[in-house]
Amino acid sequence: MGGEAGPNWNDLATRARRRRRLTMALLTGFLTLVSVPILLPYFWMVMIAFTARSGSAETWALWRALAILVPLTLGYAVAYQILAPRWRLIAGAGALALAGGLMALFLGEALHLSNFRFLANPNVVEEIRGQATAGGQFPWVWDALLNSLILAASQTLIVVTVATLAGYYLSRFAFRGRAGFLQGLLVLQAFPAVTLVIPIFLIAYWTGLLNTLVAPILVITALELPFFIFIMKGFFDAVPWDIEMSALTDGATRRQAFRIVVLPQVRSGMIAIGVFAFIKGWEEYVFVTGLRTGNSYWVMSTYLYYIKEDVMGVDYGLVAAVSLIYVLPSLCLYLFAQKYLTQMTLGGVKG
Amino acid sequence: MHNPRPRRRNVRSAHADTALFLGPAIVLLAIFFLAPIVVNFVTAFSNMEQTVRFEDFPTTRQFDKLWKPNDAALLGFELRSGFSRALWLSLIYVVFTLGIFNVTFALILALTTTALPDRTGAFFRAVWLLPRMSPSVVYALLWLWVVDSSDRGLLNQILGAAGFDPVNLRLDHPMAVIVVANGLIGASLGMIIFTSAIRSIPVHLFHAARADGAGPLAITRHVVLPALRWPLSYITIYQALALLVSFEYIFLIMGPARSTMTMAMLSYTKSLAPSIGGGQYAYGAAISMILIVIGIVVALLMWRLANMKSLLQAPRIEVR
Repeated sequence: MGGEAGPNWNDLATRARRRRRLTMALLTGFLTLVSVPILLPYFWMVMIAFTARSGSAETWALWRALAILVPLTLGYAVAYQILAPRWRLIAGAGALALAGGLMALFLGEALHLSNFRFLANPNVVEEIRGQATAGGQFPWVWDALLNSLILAASQTLIVVTVATLAGYYLSRFAFRGRAGFLQGLLVLQAFPAVTLVIPIFLIAYWTGLLNTLVAPILVITALELPFFIFIMKGFFDAVPWDIEMSALTDGATRRQAFRIVVLPQVRSGMIAIGVFAFIKGWEEYVFVTGLRTGNSYWVMSTYLYYIKEDVMGVDYGLVAAVSLIYVLPSLCLYLFAQKYLTQMTLGGVKG
Repeated sequence: MHNPRPRRRNVRSAHADTALFLGPAIVLLAIFFLAPIVVNFVTAFSNMEQTVRFEDFPTTRQFDKLWKPNDAALLGFELRSGFSRALWLSLIYVVFTLGIFNVTFALILALTTTALPDRTGAFFRAVWLLPRMSPSVVYALLWLWVVDSSDRGLLNQILGAAGFDPVNLRLDHPMAVIVVANGLIGASLGMIIFTSAIRSIPVHLFHAARADGAGPLAITRHVVLPALRWPLSYITIYQALALLVSFEYIFLIMGPARSTMTMAMLSYTKSLAPSIGGGQYAYGAAISMILIVIGIVVALLMWRLANMKSLLQAPRIEVR
């Protein structure tokens, strides 16, 4: 094949390049298509939050916004492939400005912020419904936000501290029962922890932690620990022994070597598990509702759940606005920390 | 084995190290992970209801609610209808979600995104991780908006624009709803694991295959898939277990509907589910116990699969 002499090499190269570009385009098209069912609902939520007036959601705004944004995005994607790097930035800025202008022109009068009035008005649900039904009296959203923040942040702090200490010890110290401990941890790591919600409820009841925020904080921490300890052990395993050795020969104790020399090396691991733990604590629903009877404390998951139960048929806009506020911290954190998250490997579990 | 100059530290400070580094983890795991497993077993053999007291402790009454002796049956007992229905629904739910999304589609996503330029591939992977990163209540809410049976539902709007009749998926195809809803989340874990496995294949293997005239399909079949054997079995087992016990999204999307009452849902709705939970703790614990036993068996299976030698490699510095 292609054995004949002649100037076919350039031809072949061009054809191969063209085929490659076609494959790439097909793959990108396929992935774009299958990603639509994921992206469209999120986009709709944003549109509802900014356009819905009391009553149902109006989709004309959604389609109109899509009619503006989809061609622009596709155009930008094509331009990105064609243009030189310095023109890409200009094209991007131009597309953004055009999108903003068109949105203002065609959607301007529909966009409004009144669905976000719950941020300033503590009694918004009661005003819509006369009286809240599903979950009793609603708190102000800031109470729920604060509780969610306390839950997520303190759980993150505990998880990172405990998993880092344990991961270091398992990575660097020989002690009796180490193999057994690691094997047990591995079994726990694969164990379906959510089946334990009933006995955990009972233990919280007996220890008097029921209906306090402490219960979900400690429970979620404990259930995540095996996984995160393995992640941290993996990060510690990757730190060269020599660094620690030289610290030790310079007269540092094990604890000093850990604190001053090794710990900075695993910073990205700590950030990674911290981000995961925060997102998990921020979204927790099962162990929050399972560990309280009645409404002793509100977090964002229960707040949104009961807002939905109460006003979903009446006021889509409010529900969407609450969802948007609730989902934003997770998304920002996820986007910011993406490069750390991709560094995680399942420590010993990775084959 | 290089040994630094030996330090003399007594046993007590070694114990102090253990307590400092490992103590917090051990305490937390003992109280909130190990103790609950034991408590669950004890509760399952009691008659505990809303009063939260152990009544007539060793009793198998909860399990009698699940199956009854029947000499005519093959194994000497037959399942009661509610439980056999739950078993059946669990099986359908796990097999279809796993087969379509968590393994197959995850593999497709990993293969296609790694074939694209890095940044494009990373973008699509980020999109597919979006549902996993957003709070479960929000994700369930999006689903309620999409499958809303009125003409406001996003799906019905699209169907209406295309000239079809509106559908009520939650009523007519409840299992399909929970399979797809869980699958769109579940695919991302496999995608991540498979992607990193594909990345770790040495590039020269691809070059060699291509030089030998292999096309994309042949490369996938003979270079990529063999490297994915262990990640594939890991994801299959791990996700089967995770799906078997998962009820969060089912509960948030379907509520306590009989049509999607899998085993995990049954255990949850009978005991703790907000506003409808019946407080039948012992009954819920009995069902959980079955799931836990399956869980332990599978966890041990995983343990056989895991790379034990590298995991248990002894530390190289030992200074006391």
